[in-house]
Amino acid sequence: MKILESQNALLSNYEVYQHIIDQRKRNKAQNRRVPANAHQIMTEVVTYLSAKPSPLEKQEETQAYSAAAINRLFERIREANLPSELTKSELLSILNQRPSSTALLSTAIEDMEERFSDEDQNRIVDIIAEVLGRDETDEGGEEDEMDADVAPTVENGR
Amino acid sequence: MFILTKIADLVQIAPDDFRKQSHVAIEDNINAKYANKVVQKIGLCICLWDILWTSEGLIGHGDGMVNVNVEFRMVVFRPHKGEVITARIVDQSPEGINLATDFFDDIFVPWTELPEVSEFEPSDNIWIWKEEDQVMYFDNNEMVRFRVIAEEWHDQTPSKPVEEVEATEESPVPANAKPPYRITGSMAGPGLGCCLWWE
Repeated sequence: MKILESQNALLSNYEVYQHIIDQRKRNKAQNRRVPANAHQIMTEVVTYLSAKPSPLEKQEETQAYSAAAINRLFERIREANLPSELTKSELLSILNQRPSSTALLSTAIEDMEERFSDEDQNRIVDIIAEVLGRDETDEGGEEDEMDADVAPTVENGR
Repeated sequence: MFILTKIADLVQIAPDDFRKQSHVAIEDNINAKYANKVVQKIGLCICLWDILWTSEGLIGHGDGMVNVNVEFRMVVFRPHKGEVITARIVDQSPEGINLATDFFDDIFVPWTELPEVSEFEPSDNIWIWKEEDQVMYFDNNEMVRFRVIAEEWHDQTPSKPVEEVEATEESPVPANAKPPYRITGSMAGPGLGCCLWWE
């Protein structure tokens, strides 16, 4: 064994999740059996990624994450004209965590308090919720309705 | 949290795998060798991502194995320093809290890295966080967010047997008791700790 490149690329949780799901579909279609150790860890990773509080929890139903959605998220953040640019790894953390409040956003962004005003922080959280969706809490239904009400005004405001 | 690592290795396909197509046999071989195993200083291998290149298959003298040189990429679990990830509380002690994800068990948060004014409750064997008259509990099985602050690697190569056995008072800890890859985390800071607190 020779390691050619210890870190060839970074993967988002969504990419890993999708890769394993795709492999499962392919193996089923071709009637292939995966070695037991590989089967075990792939199952465990998918269990982890589709358990609360992972944003991929309801991916199967909502399909909230997709290549298009990720591009849209990055574009929206770029368009937001933030005073300081988010780094690649910060964007990756945002994708993986989908922070739903500024307190959680601070775990993804370094020195957030100094780099962004409260207003900017709230804007980032709103963009994330709009593009990637949010956790459904008990009042989930109401929130969705509120979203529908809020969305048009934002567009009109532009 | 996950990365891709490019590896070159010799894959040996045994004759009873000849019924498989070669790319299937190579993939199964690689997964059998790497999946769910820790490679030192690389991380915990999950599964094959893609095969980049393969040589011609050569049959060696003496056995019927087909030898193929392969370059491939593996999906590897290796959270970087400073990254925030979620895990479940499995065990607590005065030294700190042990965490685990579904697929990786060796995560430890020492008591120095718990939120300020955290106390250990020996009667219930749990840690509590006292914040402005509010008492919050680190219950077992609760999902928590933590920041990765350090990693430790312990090579699992067998060591030669120890000759003198005088360690009766110090209970002799076998060398392989250390996990191959251990993550040290921190839960001090906004947004960290039990996920429920921040909802």
